[in-house]
Amino acid sequence: MSVAINIENVVKRFGKETVINGLSLDIKPGEFFTLLGPSGCGKTTLLRMIIGFNSIEGGQIKIDGKVINNIPTNKRNMGMVFQNYAIFPHMSVKNNIAFGLKNRKVPKDEIEKRVDEILKIVKIDHLKDRMPQKMSGGQQQRIALARAIVIHPEVLLMDEPLSNLDAKLRTEMRNAIKQIQQQVGITTVYVTHDQEEALAVSDRIAVMNGGVIQQIDTPKNVYQRPSNTFVSTFIGLSNIMDGVLESNENGKALIRIGNYKFQMNNIKKDCGSNCRVKVSVRPEEFIINKETEEGIPVTVKSSVFLGVTTHYFVETKEGQEIEVIQSSDIGEIIPNGKKVHLKVQVQKINVFSEDGSRSFIDREVRP
Amino acid sequence: MNTAKKKLNIWLVLALAILALFLIFVVYPLGLILYKSILMEDGTISFSYFTKFFSKKFYWSTLINSFKVTIASTLVSAVLGLIMAYLLRSIKIKGSKYLNILIVISYLSPPFIGAYAWVQLLGRNGVITRVLNSVFNTQLGGIYGFAGIVLVFSLQSFPLVYMYVSGALKNLDNSLNEAAESLGCSTVQRVWKVIVPLITPTLLASSLLVFMRVFSDFGTPMLIGEGYKTFPVLLYSQFMGEVSTDAHYAAALCVIVIAITLVMFFLQKYIGNRLTYSMSALKPLEPEKKTGIGNILAHAFVYLVVFVAILPQLTVITTSFLETRGASYTGQFTLQNYKNIIMPKNISTITNTYLFGIAAILIVVVLGVLISYLTVRKKSFLTSIIDTLTMFPYIIPGSVLGISFLYAFNKKPLLLSGTAIIIIISLCIRRMPYTIRSSTAIIGQISPSIEEAAISLGSTEVKSFIKITVPMMMAGVLSGAIMSWITLISELSSSIILYTSKTQTLTVAIYTEVIRSNFGNAAAYSTVLTITSVLSLLLFFKVSGSEDISV
Repeated sequence: MSVAINIENVVKRFGKETVINGLSLDIKPGEFFTLLGPSGCGKTTLLRMIIGFNSIEGGQIKIDGKVINNIPTNKRNMGMVFQNYAIFPHMSVKNNIAFGLKNRKVPKDEIEKRVDEILKIVKIDHLKDRMPQKMSGGQQQRIALARAIVIHPEVLLMDEPLSNLDAKLRTEMRNAIKQIQQQVGITTVYVTHDQEEALAVSDRIAVMNGGVIQQIDTPKNVYQRPSNTFVSTFIGLSNIMDGVLESNENGKALIRIGNYKFQMNNIKKDCGSNCRVKVSVRPEEFIINKETEEGIPVTVKSSVFLGVTTHYFVETKEGQEIEVIQSSDIGEIIPNGKKVHLKVQVQKINVFSEDGSRSFIDREVRP
Repeated sequence: MNTAKKKLNIWLVLALAILALFLIFVVYPLGLILYKSILMEDGTISFSYFTKFFSKKFYWSTLINSFKVTIASTLVSAVLGLIMAYLLRSIKIKGSKYLNILIVISYLSPPFIGAYAWVQLLGRNGVITRVLNSVFNTQLGGIYGFAGIVLVFSLQSFPLVYMYVSGALKNLDNSLNEAAESLGCSTVQRVWKVIVPLITPTLLASSLLVFMRVFSDFGTPMLIGEGYKTFPVLLYSQFMGEVSTDAHYAAALCVIVIAITLVMFFLQKYIGNRLTYSMSALKPLEPEKKTGIGNILAHAFVYLVVFVAILPQLTVITTSFLETRGASYTGQFTLQNYKNIIMPKNISTITNTYLFGIAAILIVVVLGVLISYLTVRKKSFLTSIIDTLTMFPYIIPGSVLGISFLYAFNKKPLLLSGTAIIIIISLCIRRMPYTIRSSTAIIGQISPSIEEAAISLGSTEVKSFIKITVPMMMAGVLSGAIMSWITLISELSSSIILYTSKTQTLTVAIYTEVIRSNFGNAAAYSTVLTITSVLSLLLFFKVSGSEDISV
C-alpha cells in the first residue's frame, strides 16, 4: 500500500533567487524520512514542493511512479502536519478531523467510524466533542496528526511539528509520532532543525545545507560516520583539528596531530600520503592521559560536573579550545590550570580532506 | 492543470471587478473634480480659480480661520485627552467603567449636534447665558465664532485622543516604571522621561486624526460660527449656496482641501512610522488607590470633564421632551416632538437611516473582507493597485466626496443623483478604508497554514476561504462592522449634499430642523440617534468581549 517518493533534479526559484538547484532523492515506501538542516537550508521549501504549496521550476517529483508536478494540492492526497498545528479554531475536535473526509464525500456513518478509530490511535478519544481552543500544544498536535492521517493519505508530511512544544512534551510526542507512523505504515517526510529529534524518529536522514544535500544515511551513520565536516559539526559536537596523514600503506595509516602520532586502519587507500587533513573528534572520543606525555598537550581551563558525565574545557598550545566529555569517576575532578595530554579513540574518530568536504574513512573496513 | 487555472481566475475576476468599482466610484469622480477645477467656462484650461481664491482675502481668510480653529481644538483635545487617559489609567477613579462609556458616547455623536446643543446652553438665548445675565446683570452675547467652534470641537474630539492614549498606556509595562524607579527616577521624572516619550507616537497619531476630522467638518462652524467662516463652510456655500453657486470654483476649492488633507495624511504616516515602539505589557499599569487632596482633585477633574463632554447629549435628550413653539420653549413637558417625528410623512427619516446604514455595512463588510484577503494573501501588481486605491477615500473629506458624486452621476448612463443608491455608495466609500484596515489586521493574525491545512485535506481554495478564513474572521469583522455602523448613522457631510426629501436621514433631518429652528423635532431625532448609538455600543461590547474601542 505504501508508496515511494522520487525527487529528480528539482529546482526552486523565488523571483531571481535559486533556492534549490537540481536536488535528487529517493524515499522508500513506508519509510520515515527526515530532512534535517539549519534554518534557511531549503528543507521546508522542499517539503512544500512535495505538497504543492510551492511550484516546481525544474525537474520532477514522482509519487508511486506518477509525476505530480501539475496536480493541485487538494488533489494530491497527502496529509500535512504544520508547525503551528493549524487547527481550525471554530470547529470541534471531531469536525477538525472529519474535515478532510467530508471533502472526499465519505458517507456519514463511515466518517463517524473512521474519526472514532483515529481518535483512539492518537489517544484523544475523550476530547472528541470539545473545542480545540484551550487545549494544550500536545493535544492540538495529536488532533493535527489525526486530521492528517484519517484521510488515508499516500504520504504524510510534517513541518517541524514539535518545535512549539516544551522539552518534556517534545520527547513524549516524538515517541508517539514514531509509534503511530509505524502502526499506520505510511511513507513520511519529516522536517526538523533539531538533530536529536531527527536521530530519534527517522529511518533515514537527509542532512541539508544551502539547498544541497550533504548526506543521506541512517541516524547511526550520520552521527558516527559523517560525510563531511559540516555534518560532523551540525550533528552533535565535534572538535575539528588540523593533522597530517603521514603515510598510508598496507591498510595502516599514520596520522599526526602536532607531535601526537597514532595509527588508523580504516583510511581509504587513495588518499595519498604526507598530506594535510582535518581530524574530527567528538568530546566523548578523547581519552585524558594524566600519567605520560603521549597525546596532545592541553591545559584545563574549566570543568562542569553533570552527574553521568564531566565536561572539561581545555586549550591547546596553539590556543584552540576543545571540549572533552568523560564519564564521571569517583576520583577528583581535574583542577583548572592543570596540564594533561589528550589521546583519541582511533576506531571512532573521523578524518576529512583538508577542505572538510570529503571523508577519508573507508566504511567497508571494521576498525 | 485545468482546475488550477479556474481557481486563479476566480480571484482575478474578483480583483478586476473591485478595481472597476473603485475606478467608477472613486477615481472617476475625483478625476472629474480635478478636471473641472482647471476647466474654464469657455472650455480653456487655466488655474484662474486658484488665483481667484488666493488673491481675495474674503476667500483665503477662511483657510486661515480653518487652520486657527483646527490647531486650537487639536491642542486642547490632545492635552485634555492625555490628562484624562493618564488619570484614569494610573489612579483608581470610582465608576471609571461608566465614565469610559460616557466618553465614547460623547465622541460618537456628530459634532454639529454638540454645536447646536451648546447654542442652546451658551448661545445668545441659552439657558446658562440667561442665568448668568440675570445673576450678574450683564449682557453676554453668547459663545459664537472662534471660541464656540473650539469649545465644541475640543469636547467632541478629546475622546479620540483619550481612547488611543489609553490603549497605549495599557500596553505600557509597569516594570518600565519600576525599572526607572529602581534606577533613581522621581515620580515626575518618570512620567516625563519614560511614559511621555513612549506614548508620544500615539499622541501625535491621534492628534493628526483629530486635525483631519476637525479641518473638514462643516456642520459645527455652520451652526455656531456665525460670522466666523471656515473653509468647509465656504466650500458648502459655493456649491449649495442660494446667492452664488459656481460649480467650477467649488471644484477648485475641493482640490485645495484634498491637497491639505493629503499633506496631513503623509505627515501622519511619516511620524507614525518613525516613532512607533512595539510594546506588549506582561504587567500592565494598574490604577492605584490614592487618598487625600490628590484623590479629590483627580475625581473632581475627571468627573467635570466627562460631565461637560456629555452635557450636549443631556441637553438634547431633555429638550426632546420640552414643548416648543417655534424656536422657543414653553416650559411644559410633552411627547409631541416624538409624535411629530414618527408621523407617516416623517418616519422615513428613521427607516432611511437604518436601511441605508445596514445596506452600506453589508456591502462594506463583504467588499472589505474580500479586498483585504486579496491584498494580504494574493499579492500581485493588481492587488497592490487595489490596496492603494481603496485608501484614497481616507483622505477625501465627506463634502468633497458628495460634490464629486453629484458631478459624476447626474446624467445617463450613470444617473444616480437623488436616489438612495448614491447615498449608500457614498457611505460605503467613506467607510471602506477603515473596514479594510481592520480586516487586514484580522487576516494578518490568521496563520496562512490554517488555509493550507484545509487545502491539503482536499478542499478547494475558494471553499477553504469560505469555510475556514471567513468564520475565523467573523468575530473581529462583526465588532468592526458595529463601529462602522455607528459612524455611518452619524455621517452628515456627504449626505447633506446628496440627499433629497425622499432620502433624508437622521443627521440630515437634525441639521435641517436646527436650521429651521424646529428645536423640538431636532432634539427628538438626536435622541433617537443617540439611543441607537448607545445600544449599538452595548452590542459592540458584547460581541467583541472587550472594553477597548478602536475607531
